[in-house]
Amino acid sequence: MGQRPALVSWADHHRKAASQSLQQLIAEPVQSFLTCLAVGVALALPAVLWAFLQNVEVVAGNIQTSARFTLLLEQDVSLETAQLMAAELETRSDIELVEAIDRRDALARFAEEVGFSELVDNLHNNPLPNSLQLHPGTSLTVSELDDLADALVALSGVEQVVFDTQWQARLQAAITASQRLTLGVGVLMVLGAVLILGNTVRLGIEARREEITVIKLIGGGDGFARRPLLYAGLWSGSAGGFFGAVLVALLFWFVSPPAERLFDLYGLDRRFIGLGLPGMLILTAVGGLAGLVSAWSTALIHLRRAQPR
Amino acid sequence: MINFERVSKRYEHRDALRDVSVEIAAGEMVFLTGHSGAGKSTMLRLLMLLDRASSGRLLVNGNDVATIRGARIAKYRQDFGIVFQDHRLLFDRSIFDNVALPLEIAGFHPRDIGRRVRAALDKVGLLGRESANPVVLSGGEQQRVGIARAVVARPKILVADEPTGNLDPGLSAEIMGLFDAFHRVGVTVIVASHDLALISRLRHRIITLKEGRLIGGVGS
Repeated sequence: MGQRPALVSWADHHRKAASQSLQQLIAEPVQSFLTCLAVGVALALPAVLWAFLQNVEVVAGNIQTSARFTLLLEQDVSLETAQLMAAELETRSDIELVEAIDRRDALARFAEEVGFSELVDNLHNNPLPNSLQLHPGTSLTVSELDDLADALVALSGVEQVVFDTQWQARLQAAITASQRLTLGVGVLMVLGAVLILGNTVRLGIEARREEITVIKLIGGGDGFARRPLLYAGLWSGSAGGFFGAVLVALLFWFVSPPAERLFDLYGLDRRFIGLGLPGMLILTAVGGLAGLVSAWSTALIHLRRAQPR
Repeated sequence: MINFERVSKRYEHRDALRDVSVEIAAGEMVFLTGHSGAGKSTMLRLLMLLDRASSGRLLVNGNDVATIRGARIAKYRQDFGIVFQDHRLLFDRSIFDNVALPLEIAGFHPRDIGRRVRAALDKVGLLGRESANPVVLSGGEQQRVGIARAVVARPKILVADEPTGNLDPGLSAEIMGLFDAFHRVGVTVIVASHDLALISRLRHRIITLKEGRLIGGVGS
């Protein structure tokens, strides 16, 4: 009888604060809906960017695998030697396939492509060397490809290595920059959500000023006064995050058919990557966390001011 | 139990209390009186830790209240029941929930809360009205709900600041009778009131203040 262990009554009050603050949100449906929608929109933008990047990376990864080197050999290297070199290079772990190209075939192909076959026929000497066409391993990064290029140049009998890693470096840099941008936008938007929720919590404190004052006068601590506010923040934030997830899902439902057609045109057998269930849960959790943080900080500032008179 | 030792309180432009020394024993009932601005409310504010003395010491149960700070203030206030002139009920909830608030803060079991709230409402003659909103009650009834809230957690000290200030003489006598009843069961009761005609009928010590100084009722 009487007072109970602190932990039990604390848990009891948590339950009560949680349900009361939820009821208060439901009692003001339009206001609550607008707040949650604003939070949802703020959280949807970084989520969309993130998912978009996931898709870009998949496409970029596929393009990267089609990279290949052309090794122009010195003039005095014979086709037999070239074939030996090819066999030897193929044993390297970072190389998938090497093909020796006969200089005559190369000239013929050149003539055909350029359309000067008569001119080429009149050449006394074939100006083209024998060459090797080399497909590197698909999992190599840009810097590993650069290392491989350096190693190939150093081989004896190799005159020149033709390989443009620059566009791949550019693509990689663009992706990295976009990731940073997404992170930055994400942080800003979560901050925006925190501010939106903070304003809602502040209005809640104004509306409940008398209650907070009375609670303090009759011996309730800050924790007791703050608890319903924290739950109000948690509920609005989570609902906002969930709204955001639904918005993103709707947007992707709209975008995915043309995006998958684009993949198709690139010869990629890929589905468009959306948020998925884990992503939606994470977004809801991020919203809830933003709500808690914002309620906590707002309560910290404004409860001090609500000192009883 | 409560000991003001040469307590002064200076607000920016005036002295609210000057060198006040008075002792209130456990179980005693006292009235604080004087014109408005004489320092009654200041004494109660210092007692409730809503303000701090500029000089002197205030001892409650032998402890200097100046040492009570931060989170311990809330715990300290739980030993008191407070009745306000304007009762300060919360109109967004039922009479029951208003009275239950101190028990929730103190962490009572919901079953005990129901029992105690009904007992407190019974004492002030409002049993059976607990599900109503206090807004439908008359001024005197609202003040009785305020008293039920103040006593529901069975505090050792009951403090009332002009509890009859807004009530007609008949209701005022009724309310004072309630305080007297709590005094008789052992609660220390401190009532600030300027209604001399009413409080002089009740034969308890009257502490009189004038311009922040104590001019009567020092000894018991």
